[in-house]
Amino acid sequence: MNWTLAIPEIALSISGLIILLWGAIQKKGNAFFPCAILSIAAFVAVGFLTLTVSNGVGYNGLFINDEFSRYMKILIIIAGFLSIILSIDFNGKNDTNCFEYIALIVFSTVGAMVMVSSNDLMTLYMGLELSSLALYILCAIDRKNVFSAESGVKYFVLGSVASGILLYGISMIYGFSGGMGYSTIHQIIASNHALSAGFAVGLVFVLVGLCFKISAVPFHMWTPDVYQGAPTPVTTFLSTAPKFAAFALFLRLMIGPFGHLSPQWQLLIEVIAILSIIIGSVGAIAQTNIKRMMAYSSISHMGFALVGLAAATPDGVMGTLIYLTTYLFMNVGTFAVIAAMSRKGHVVENINDLAGLGKTDPGIATAMAIFMFSMAGVPPLAGFFGKFLVFKAALGADLYSLTIIGLLASAVGAFFYLRIVKIMFFDKAVEALDQRSLSLSFVTFSMGTLTLVFMLFLSPMIQMGQIAAQSLFH
Amino acid sequence: MAPITSSLFAISVFAPLGGFLIAGLLGRVLGDNFAKFIAILGMLIAVVFSWCVLGNMLHSGISSTIVPLFDWIHAGSFNVSWYLRMDMLSVSMLTMVTSVSLLVHIYSIGYMSHETMPTYRFFAYLSLFTFSMLMLITSDNLIELFFGWEAVGLSSYLLIGYWYTRPSAVAAAIKAFVVNRIADLFFLIGICVLFILSGSVFYDDIFHKIPELANTQYHLFSYGFQAYEFIALLLFIGAMGKSAQLFLHVWLPDAMEGPTPVSALIHAATMVTAGIFLMARMSPLVEFAPHVKMFIVIMGATTAFFAGTVALAQPDIKKSIAYSTCSQLGYMFVAVGVGAYQVAMFHLTTHAFFKALLFLGAGSVIHALHDEQNMFKMGGLSKKLPATCLLMWIGCLALGGIFPFAGYWSKDAILEAAWMSGSTVGYYAWIMTAITAFLTAFYSWRILFLVFHGKPRDQKIYDHAHESSFVMTLPMCVLATGATIGGFTLAPYYIGKYQLAFWNDSIFNAPTNHIMTLMHHAPYLIAKAPLALGILGIIVAFICYIAAPRIPVIMASGLKGIYQFLLNAWYFDKLYDFIFVRPYIALSKILWKVGDQEIVEGMPVAVARITDRSAKGISWIQNGSFAFYAFTMAIGLVVVLATFLIYH
Amino acid sequence: MNILNTVGLAPYLIVSGLLFTIGLFGIFASRKNLIVILMSIELMLLSANLNLIAFSSALENLTGQVLVMFTLTVAAAESAIGLAIVMVYYRNRHSVEVQDATMMKG
Repeated sequence: MNWTLAIPEIALSISGLIILLWGAIQKKGNAFFPCAILSIAAFVAVGFLTLTVSNGVGYNGLFINDEFSRYMKILIIIAGFLSIILSIDFNGKNDTNCFEYIALIVFSTVGAMVMVSSNDLMTLYMGLELSSLALYILCAIDRKNVFSAESGVKYFVLGSVASGILLYGISMIYGFSGGMGYSTIHQIIASNHALSAGFAVGLVFVLVGLCFKISAVPFHMWTPDVYQGAPTPVTTFLSTAPKFAAFALFLRLMIGPFGHLSPQWQLLIEVIAILSIIIGSVGAIAQTNIKRMMAYSSISHMGFALVGLAAATPDGVMGTLIYLTTYLFMNVGTFAVIAAMSRKGHVVENINDLAGLGKTDPGIATAMAIFMFSMAGVPPLAGFFGKFLVFKAALGADLYSLTIIGLLASAVGAFFYLRIVKIMFFDKAVEALDQRSLSLSFVTFSMGTLTLVFMLFLSPMIQMGQIAAQSLFH
Repeated sequence: MAPITSSLFAISVFAPLGGFLIAGLLGRVLGDNFAKFIAILGMLIAVVFSWCVLGNMLHSGISSTIVPLFDWIHAGSFNVSWYLRMDMLSVSMLTMVTSVSLLVHIYSIGYMSHETMPTYRFFAYLSLFTFSMLMLITSDNLIELFFGWEAVGLSSYLLIGYWYTRPSAVAAAIKAFVVNRIADLFFLIGICVLFILSGSVFYDDIFHKIPELANTQYHLFSYGFQAYEFIALLLFIGAMGKSAQLFLHVWLPDAMEGPTPVSALIHAATMVTAGIFLMARMSPLVEFAPHVKMFIVIMGATTAFFAGTVALAQPDIKKSIAYSTCSQLGYMFVAVGVGAYQVAMFHLTTHAFFKALLFLGAGSVIHALHDEQNMFKMGGLSKKLPATCLLMWIGCLALGGIFPFAGYWSKDAILEAAWMSGSTVGYYAWIMTAITAFLTAFYSWRILFLVFHGKPRDQKIYDHAHESSFVMTLPMCVLATGATIGGFTLAPYYIGKYQLAFWNDSIFNAPTNHIMTLMHHAPYLIAKAPLALGILGIIVAFICYIAAPRIPVIMASGLKGIYQFLLNAWYFDKLYDFIFVRPYIALSKILWKVGDQEIVEGMPVAVARITDRSAKGISWIQNGSFAFYAFTMAIGLVVVLATFLIYH
Repeated sequence: MNILNTVGLAPYLIVSGLLFTIGLFGIFASRKNLIVILMSIELMLLSANLNLIAFSSALENLTGQVLVMFTLTVAAAESAIGLAIVMVYYRNRHSVEVQDATMMKG
């Protein structure tokens, strides 16, 4: 039986249900922490399951497991795991005490994993909805906070529009190709030279739906508002797991079923990548709220990651995978620092609140500086290698203008990252931040170390990335 | 025998470097006096060893020895090993440079005694300069020579600008450096061309190949000219810069901003003679460039005359002597140009004695008068400074070419050689240098009469004058001895009957070049003319400044134009200011204001402004309304769809 | 037989396209009430459903109809979640006006 292919997803779903049940029967006061521990255990277990589960196609071609899905799933599981750790501290501070939070993150992770493993538009849609619906709630989970509520509304409305567009695209593709399985679509495209307009419309609609998920320009506008309003651990999760899943889909669809059309979508991806890099880098400059700044930063990072896809080569996909990996470390680390930003029990989110952190808390300031330098692409930190690999692949595919514009924009981007370093180390110290919890320190320093020593693991990482990328190209 | 000599030679070269390193680096720690002691000790070792080497060389009759030190540059076919070349040319220079340098070191103890700051830096620079000069003269290849050449320029810069708090000193140091750099560029190009032509930078290799490559021609716009002419011209331009010949002389008078011992050492006895030395060293090459030799004669003679006239009108005692140096260097180049390199070297040596003596004497006067340099404020100082007065008289007698002082022998030889070369330029040179001989005597005695005789013009300064200390007069006495007897003792060796054995092939005269024998057969009238003109100059100076002191005043006011012309050194500085400096500053300003501020700086500023504006624009578009966000998405969808459908 | 055979596929597609456009317009054109926006979203999903069913019928392939089943469920969940979020928003802001949801911008 090939149902075992989905064992990680099934296991995680069951864990989610158990958490839900456990939380419901517990008294409210102490449900959160045990649930969190349970979910962490579940994440670790599922991570191992993911590593051990076999390759293959199952569920009547709806579900696929390969090296690529395994790589992406591990990233997603790590993202979920770290978000849970960050949320322990958040819960302690805000006293929201809702165990549903844990269950929702678990379900959203399951959705993201299903997206990664989808081999059929139907699976894609279901995974995406599962992941999104959980996220809508998560954004608004800080119920007494008007910003959280507004971010929930915005994300819900715009996310629903995006999934509506995606669904409409799926229906068009289905109508004009006669099937929803990726292999069916692949065969039909391979046999038909002329592409029908209806199919093209469907393709574009699906693409737009996915672009919304990875917040690529011009479908990025929800990002700053939602990032700002959502609780910081949720923002952490939002900026990693669903993006990885959407990226995995992007790569799988574009290289797999739509691979033959690459000359036609390449330019589109290039333009979207350039726009994302530029708008993300430039938009971040004007920001005063650090979470908004990180939102723009993630827009530009997604642009950089798209550069690898624009190359449409195994090297490009490998570059994207490495880029996303480094992005995970830097991004989660940065958000851990942001989560630690509170003064006298109140959350502070202004960039200027970091002033003098180099003196008041040199450890965390150093970690933050590492993340910022890494995001700016300063060698030998992790972020540099991601950028290097995607641009190398772009050059390999003769995308010179994309490379040049991308590199110039990354110079602009360096400005706002370095500004944070400057504020931390050279500006006059304001009041010190509150004592940070152990969980935040753990995430900050482990991510900082990974960012710092990434270069040591570069060659095994590249090897894994290459195997994963190769599995998409058959 | 030879190994010992060569080690002595090497030690002699490197002893000043040791002095510089210890005094310069540890001077602050070891204390001023100890640093001075070390620097002088280094020089003393160098002097003693150099005299030993000279004695050995004369005794053993070794022609030329290569003293290997270590490999320096190996790049492809470009090899430079660090060798020293020990032949009579370098050894004679070595002896002269170290001796004068030691005397100047000793003199400086007294001269710098009024300084408030520690002076170990000064002694370190002096030693560094000496080492650089020794590197230059003992080089075995052009790269080493160029290294020494540049190092000399550097230490000259450091010493001229020693009083770095004086803006004029700093400006003079920069001027000296820049003017030399212009000449050095030509020199460097010359070295490069020579390397391309002969494939080596070693003297021996170059000289061996000269006969076979002598007919190589370069073509420019269908005019063919000989390769060696071109190279010799480039080298000569380099020499012009260092030796302050006309058009490139402007730095030398300004260099008098440095302490007076520096002027004596660098700007009279040693560094400025580097150009002459280069020509003598490259004599095998220069001999194959007859046109350039003619050019050298013209330049030398003109410089001699030009500087002589300018020296007439200078009120500053040091500037007057500086122009005199310039003039005497012109003499030397005349000798080089007519092929009498030995004579040039002879005049170089005697000049080193008496010009150093004159500078040190001037320094003694300035020191006595507490930094007063204007001769029109002096007068009658012979009573206050009897020793200095006597020594200055000896210096002037030597400079003026009065028998039997040193200058008489060497200057006479140059004029004879110029005349006997028999060419038109030779006659031109003879006329110019003969007139200059008159001018030389005139301005020398003008200095003497203005400073030491007549009535004190400024009683206050006169009253405070005091004779210099023993450390200052002693070196001057040694130099005075040289200036007195140097001429007739050295003449037989340098230019007389022993010259072939003495130089021992270190200087090359082409087989057709018989100037060294011809010059001794100059007509009697020609040979004695300079002496007569010199004496005439003294008489005229006596009339003008002692007997009838109103004559120069009347002349200066009557011939105001000429007087101003001379006072301003033929307006070279103004001319250069007009031709080079101002257009350069104007161009720099354009590049600065437009090129740098507007374009280079403007671009990042503009980019930053654009970025900033677009950042504001983006955050303005982000207006918070999700209806608008949805609208943007719809627009994006339509645009992407349209592009895709059209493209596809 | 099938009604599709008599009128063809085109009217279905046109109607669903119109529904989709109306839904999309409803989202950014309605400036009043969040509930209207929820309805517009529903409209978009339903237009896709109509498409799927029409294609499923035309292609004589059940996959489309299966997806419609899922979609209906998802749409129901989405509506429920949407309403819940609007409720949370209303409690904080005491308003369900679209224009009021502009506290975060820049």
